[in-house]
Amino acid sequence: MHLSISNFERVIPTKPWRGITVSVVMTLVVATAAWELYCRSLAYGPSLNDTGDLWAEARRRVEPESLVIVGDSRALFDSDLDELEKGLGKRPVQLAQPGSTAFPVLSDLINDTRFHGTIICSVVPRLFFAPPGSPPMNRSEKSVRRSHTQTYAQRASHVLGIYLEKWFACMKQDDLTLGALLEKLPIPNRPYAQVPPLLPPYFASLDRERRARMVEQCAQPGKLQDRVKHRWARLFTPPPPPSFIPKDAFAEKMHAAFEARFTDTKALVDKLRARGGKIVFVRFPLSGDLKELEDRTTPRATTWDRLLKETAVPGIYFEDFPELADFTCPEWSHLSAGDSVEFTKRLVPHLRAAFGSEGDVKPVASSP
Amino acid sequence: MLFNSLTFVVFFAVVVSAYWMMRSWPARKNLLVVASYVFYGAWNPPFAALLFGTTAMDFYLGRIMGKQTQPEARKVWLVISVAVNLSMLGFFKYGNFLLENFQWVLARGGIAYQPPHLDLFLPIGISFYTFHSLSYTLDIYRGVLKPTRSLRDFVLAVSFFPQLVAGPIVRAGDFLPQLEAPPKPQQGRFFWGLLLMTLGLFEKVVLADTLLAGSADTVFAYGGSLVALDSWAGVMAFAGQIFFDFAGYSICAIGAALCLGFHLKDNFRFPYAAVGFSDFWRRWHISLSTFLRDYLYIPIGGNRAGAARAMINLMIVMFIGGLWHGAAWTFVVWGLLHGSYLALERLTKVIVGEASWTEHLPVKLLLGLGTYVAVCVAWVFFRAPDFTVAARMLSGMFGGHPQGDALLSTREILQIGIVTLGMFIVHWSLRDTSIESAVNRMPVWAVTGVWIFMAGAILLTQGNSNAFIYFQF
Repeated sequence: MHLSISNFERVIPTKPWRGITVSVVMTLVVATAAWELYCRSLAYGPSLNDTGDLWAEARRRVEPESLVIVGDSRALFDSDLDELEKGLGKRPVQLAQPGSTAFPVLSDLINDTRFHGTIICSVVPRLFFAPPGSPPMNRSEKSVRRSHTQTYAQRASHVLGIYLEKWFACMKQDDLTLGALLEKLPIPNRPYAQVPPLLPPYFASLDRERRARMVEQCAQPGKLQDRVKHRWARLFTPPPPPSFIPKDAFAEKMHAAFEARFTDTKALVDKLRARGGKIVFVRFPLSGDLKELEDRTTPRATTWDRLLKETAVPGIYFEDFPELADFTCPEWSHLSAGDSVEFTKRLVPHLRAAFGSEGDVKPVASSP
Repeated sequence: MLFNSLTFVVFFAVVVSAYWMMRSWPARKNLLVVASYVFYGAWNPPFAALLFGTTAMDFYLGRIMGKQTQPEARKVWLVISVAVNLSMLGFFKYGNFLLENFQWVLARGGIAYQPPHLDLFLPIGISFYTFHSLSYTLDIYRGVLKPTRSLRDFVLAVSFFPQLVAGPIVRAGDFLPQLEAPPKPQQGRFFWGLLLMTLGLFEKVVLADTLLAGSADTVFAYGGSLVALDSWAGVMAFAGQIFFDFAGYSICAIGAALCLGFHLKDNFRFPYAAVGFSDFWRRWHISLSTFLRDYLYIPIGGNRAGAARAMINLMIVMFIGGLWHGAAWTFVVWGLLHGSYLALERLTKVIVGEASWTEHLPVKLLLGLGTYVAVCVAWVFFRAPDFTVAARMLSGMFGGHPQGDALLSTREILQIGIVTLGMFIVHWSLRDTSIESAVNRMPVWAVTGVWIFMAGAILLTQGNSNAFIYFQF
């Protein structure tokens, strides 16, 4: 018999609990069904969320000789996995992530000594050269970290979540959660507040292999397309330097980070090649004002051309080839679902030329 | 496994169904042991072995201690139990911290020493289960608990999954008696448990994670100086976040335990309606503050040796309390700051004596507001990654950077303001009562409406799976 310190017992409020619980469950079922119907009426459809767990699942599919796509959302939207498999003989693993820099993923793949496969790396200069601590770096690092630290419980939740996301349109985390809905409230900010721009609204669907497809509503001219364009313009406009570091010191720090990205990338490329791996850089299409903005803020000569020169990696710049330049991105940054298939079909011969045979690497773009 | 995850929903449904379908009480307890180890092992299976090892050690030490009649002999076994438990905690939680400080001390003496960095994973919830387990040998030593004869019961008392990783710190003496016989049927217990779980998840997922965490993270991660509004908003966001996060976990634990027929004590009692700091600690993380009171403050003398000695004892206890939260000097400063508050309050009471005018509501509200502000100042050290950030935050809060930056959107400031105001209203309305009494007074339609609102909001957030803050402790 234990001699207890206290014989504590909680009070249970006296209520008709069974009836209350049934009312709660029924109301929630009806409210969820109504919310789902409303979301569908707004053109939302079931789609997987691009979570760290989905990325980690894809990362686990990487075999030593895999074909892997890394980089940003342009690689995610514009690469058709079926066409790449047909053209290159291997089903690629899609590891590109929206708004992220490829570097941490490259580093993770190449520092995995078993890996000696092939990498297609998308380069959007503002993202590829993003300095440590910036949101594009953080996003990549977070996913890489998740793939290394994911617990069994997280894996199980991910699998369960997928079954719900496949059926319910209202499970779209980027747009339809309470937090996302609150962000959309039209409340003006203080004029001097440094509030970061919001990410664009829902404009894509994603499958289990992380193949993203632009939704038709965004591919057609209209309000959604305009809103997405507007967000790109804000997101790709360089923010003012922070107030707490002198301008010169900040510029020096950014320059050092920029230079370091060339040398660090070269070191990774050399390591991959020493093991027999291959890599190609790809500049995917962009259009309209965003192209003008990117060309102005991140000129080709100082970013793309130099990257190819320093690393001696073959590169495919869409503008260098008429058949690749012949596409218009409806919302300036990504191809429509249909165009992405055609674009990939046309990209394949260039990729095959870049990878060469027997491990040869032939620059196919006009390297400086 | 997190309470706010789909895995837990399935796990809990399976465990609860199987538990209530079983007729044999020993079989039910076996089920709970297995479930608790699955719950814990889902993070990192090898750490389940560590949990079992320390639990088994305390079980056998408790048994040996129970057989000793001489106080000296009992003391030896207690010292072994305390030393092994705290060494384990010290190794995993404070190993690198101690090495870094050792290096710093040597460097002051001109000795350059580069310690190896111990690449340690902190076993989740180690601070909590170490205290669960320690309470057993401490109470046997104190003569208030007889050793249990069942290893299975003790393993379950330490590892019972609702309270395993983030409390409340349930003492063996409070839990073991509940394992002697199956819970008696109690009208509404299961559904009330479900409602408490909903409330806990609402606090965690909706209030802490969705409405407050982002602002607190933004402000504390910023490298520059902030204007007073943003500094205060960030600190108030964290004050709310940590309350809703931790109290939410505790309420979930209490609710989950009730669904299985077990009764856990309150861990929070409307702390932001506290008037004074001793009142605050009677309302905040009650299971830790009573643990430290009973097993540390009173044994080292408490207030039995005069006011001066009592203040020193308070500082010692709060130093340990700070360090328990994390291996960093910022946590120590947080603890010492609270120790100073308590000492100052005690000194004021000695000088002023009992003043009846402090019982008037406006005065109480004013004193409560002062308590909240002082608690917020202490939270700065708790949340800041280092003293530079803490100093910059405090300077911003007290008008040191009128030309500083503004980071938060108007929406975020409104969210913080509305949630904080709502929190104050609820805490002050219920400060002298309990949630059960409040629900008893509510009409059925209001209880139903509140439950629907909370569950609906959780569904709308899609229950994102951020870890609870206190898991890291």
